[in-house]
Amino acid sequence: MKIGPLPSLTRRRFITIAATGLFLPGGATARPRRFEWQGSALGAQAKIVLYHPDAGAAEAAITACLDEISRLESQFSLYRPNSALGQLNAAGQLANPSHDMRRLLHLCRQYGELSQGAFDPSVQPLWQLYAAHFANHPDSKAGPPPDAIRAAQRRIDYRRIAIGAADIRLDPGMSLTLNGIAQGYITDRVADLLRAKGWSDVLLNLGEIRALPGRAWSVRLTGDGPSVALTDAALATSAGAGSPFAGPSGPHHLLQPRTGRSAGRYSSVSVLARTATAADALSTALYLSSPERAADLLRQGGGQQAWLRQPNGIVRHLTV
Amino acid sequence: MSGSRCRRQNHGGRCNPPVPLLCVLLVLCLSLIAPPAWTKQGERIGPETLAQVFPDAERAGSLSGNPLAASVFKGGARLGYIFSTQDVVASVGFSGKPIDILVGLTIEGVISGAKLRSHNEPILVIGIPDQALRQFVDGFANIDIHHPGRVREGETFGALPDVISGATISSAVIGDSIIRAARTVARSRGLLKTAQAKLRLDRENYQPADWSELRADGSIAYLALNQGKVEQAYRDRVAIPGAEFLGNRSPEELYSELYTGLITPPRIGQNLLGPQAFNRLLGEMGPDDQAILIAGNGLYSFKGTRYRRSGLFDRIQIVQGDKIIRLVKRHYHLVSDLKIAAAPQLREIGVFVIPADTGFDALADWRLELLVSRETRQGGRVLLDFPLPYVLPAFYRIGQAPVASLEQAGQLDRVLAYLQQQLNDGEPALWLRNWRDRAGRISILVGLLLILSAILVFQDNLVRHYELYRPVRLIYLAVTVVWIGWYAGAQLSVINVLTFAQSLLSGFHWEFFLLDPLIFILWSYVAVTLLFWGRGVFCGWLCPFGALQELLNEAARLLRIPQISVPFALHERLWPIKHIIFLGLFAVSLHSTLLAIAGSEVEPFKTAISMHFIRHWPFVAYVGGLLFLGLFIERFFCRYLCPLGAALAIPARLRMFEWLKRRFQCGHECKLCAVRCTVQAIHPNGSINPNECIYCLACQANYYDERVCPPLVAKRKRRDERAEKQAAYLEKASR
Repeated sequence: MKIGPLPSLTRRRFITIAATGLFLPGGATARPRRFEWQGSALGAQAKIVLYHPDAGAAEAAITACLDEISRLESQFSLYRPNSALGQLNAAGQLANPSHDMRRLLHLCRQYGELSQGAFDPSVQPLWQLYAAHFANHPDSKAGPPPDAIRAAQRRIDYRRIAIGAADIRLDPGMSLTLNGIAQGYITDRVADLLRAKGWSDVLLNLGEIRALPGRAWSVRLTGDGPSVALTDAALATSAGAGSPFAGPSGPHHLLQPRTGRSAGRYSSVSVLARTATAADALSTALYLSSPERAADLLRQGGGQQAWLRQPNGIVRHLTV
Repeated sequence: MSGSRCRRQNHGGRCNPPVPLLCVLLVLCLSLIAPPAWTKQGERIGPETLAQVFPDAERAGSLSGNPLAASVFKGGARLGYIFSTQDVVASVGFSGKPIDILVGLTIEGVISGAKLRSHNEPILVIGIPDQALRQFVDGFANIDIHHPGRVREGETFGALPDVISGATISSAVIGDSIIRAARTVARSRGLLKTAQAKLRLDRENYQPADWSELRADGSIAYLALNQGKVEQAYRDRVAIPGAEFLGNRSPEELYSELYTGLITPPRIGQNLLGPQAFNRLLGEMGPDDQAILIAGNGLYSFKGTRYRRSGLFDRIQIVQGDKIIRLVKRHYHLVSDLKIAAAPQLREIGVFVIPADTGFDALADWRLELLVSRETRQGGRVLLDFPLPYVLPAFYRIGQAPVASLEQAGQLDRVLAYLQQQLNDGEPALWLRNWRDRAGRISILVGLLLILSAILVFQDNLVRHYELYRPVRLIYLAVTVVWIGWYAGAQLSVINVLTFAQSLLSGFHWEFFLLDPLIFILWSYVAVTLLFWGRGVFCGWLCPFGALQELLNEAARLLRIPQISVPFALHERLWPIKHIIFLGLFAVSLHSTLLAIAGSEVEPFKTAISMHFIRHWPFVAYVGGLLFLGLFIERFFCRYLCPLGAALAIPARLRMFEWLKRRFQCGHECKLCAVRCTVQAIHPNGSINPNECIYCLACQANYYDERVCPPLVAKRKRRDERAEKQAAYLEKASR
């Protein structure tokens, strides 16, 4: 789910399965009951699990969560033409941006700086080029011609996003995707909302997984990866195979702005961090960055652990 | 109407012969009519009924509880309830008599089935196939009472069945009682998901309160951020290290404190701003706009400075549900200081109007978000929101809408709201919706009645100009037939009279008479004109069937169809027929409304007007026969058969104004008007019989016409002769 606009159901479904059921009872309180909401959010399967003695309170909390998701989707969704992001891409500018839009674009800039441009929300023209190319040449192996890629690359630079308090402007030809970070951000906002209402013992899976303080949740990583205990932390995974353009070994949605090609070092990268935004952005950034930068990036970006899984199955585990 | 007239006469002590009779009848039937026997506590629902109303259920308990409802079960599980609309909401139909519909309701709030057990609906008795009615009621199965939509003329809302053509009001009444009863039961049994009654914001009640009270009860919410708290939030909620960078500030130092609250309720707004500023603010707002106060202290200003240039407050936003509401300079009012007692020192105070089109819901929870921006150690910028949640205290949510809050609404709305408040039954009343939905028709009808009033008031001026009077009369009649009758369906009927009398006996409800606004307005007008000029104003001008007969006869005369003049002696002896029909119907109605309604088919109104002749052939043949007779004897039906005319004739002698002019020659030297009178209401002696007169003003046009009225003709001749003589004399003299 990183930079490609196609929701990669493959990977999501995988994580969802991995997270179900495997919770460890934490501190026992006054007979809370388990409530689980399953539905779709952000174009993919989503799940909220919470514990509370009262069904009405649980239902009200979930309703508030869904409102919050819907509110932020109408900011960041690439698929809703009327979303704030859709307007920004269409017009090249957005007047009266919401706090959330400004916050998220500032965060994008932070992760852009930290990853030395590997993480870049303005990579969208490149993705569009690939998508159009493979739509017209489904059997192509190589991807778009190099001069077309170079032309798209010239339109990529997160530093040219002017984030003003009263408006946001893009250079001509630029367009943004927030798919590498927005799901994490929305997960965090929902978590903040529930925490402000005094909730604990909650597991959110809105594309990225986040656990509120309280209970420990066991989440198994992609494939035959290890199980991770999640308490007051978030976990995100980026996998190129999640939405390939053509064939399992062909180019995929995780495109490197610097080379104009999809990255091939890892089959997946998972990051455990304090917030889902950080986990989401870092898993994308690590996937696209050179292995030597990985440890620094993880530390500077606020990550706690990372699992870098290579195509040969070897997993490199980093801990800050 | 006859009932009230009757009572009035009793008090006045001047009764015409039929009236005391009616009064006696009224009193008699008071003692005779027993309350109807509907479902009673303990009654059991039979298996056949159960299968119709609740097909999934296996057995039903007995009717119990308040309101009465029977639980139904499958195995050991309760599936829902069965109840009668009559028990639950005392549903009355258009006839004023109870309608009894059995309704099944699942515990999810979905109607499982409905079955009409008994009704006295006039329009439904004859002419509507039973099948249509059954289908209509069956159509309520599977409707979710949480979102039922509504039954309205000509349109289908939500999943509700279409109304029965030609039985609009009746089917709306049925639909309304089913949904209202289902909601009442659902509420009483805790099935409604939105269990709260519809509430609104208290915008009226003012009680003095000081700052500490408003703070304590939650009217004003508060957020305090010191440097340490902001740092902690950055650490917790922004994972990037370095963003929590504090600089050289102490963690205890106040960073920002915020107060906010909805100030549209006077208890909050008027206390905070003082009455003058508060009222000025309300005056500048739209009726559904809201206003909030935001006030603050500390290093970090919630306003910032950029709004002065950009017009946008970039540090604050309101979030409610899935909506983000931005605050802009043009909705901002600077407040220099608060008028309320015990207010803290506040560096910045602002009032923000939130326009209704933002979709802001004053009753729902919302939060004010303060956006904070910090430089990281690396030189980047990280923003973070601090929410200040606001939950409106429950006592600002109140139930009914009083009149005072409707100053912005139109006059009609205010009257309706007042009446609604008088009725005060919680759910929005069906009649109220009818009035709102038919505002256009109501205005046209009122316009027509104003024109008629002008015709009546200035009748002398009008009839002096025959060339004006004739077209006015014919056009008005045409409008009466086409618009009032065929289009708007506002044909008064003797059923209305019987129903009114019934309601006086069994409990009078305004609500019921208000169901059909056009009929209600027409009856009110007829009641007044009956007092002023007699029954003729209705019969001669507003009765669509009467107008139809007159126009057809007019055409017959154009085609030179011979007219039959009924010898007066016979004519006079045919008059009582209509009175007998009316009294017969009245007597029958005391026994059975259903029978009386069937009997009132003697009126051709339903066939000719309400149902546009689209009916079973015997009805059409009957109407055709009456209209055919009317070609030879003008207004044949009105003269001899109309029970409504008869009912209205009873109080006709009470009329206050005698504006129809006669000459002393009338009836002695000249009987022209008597011959020309369309309904032969002028006795051979020249007097006009108010029981029969339809106030068409034809005799008055004659009265002023020098070429028609014999005394005037004679006068004119004499004058002309004199002038001729004079001219001749002058001519002679000049020679």
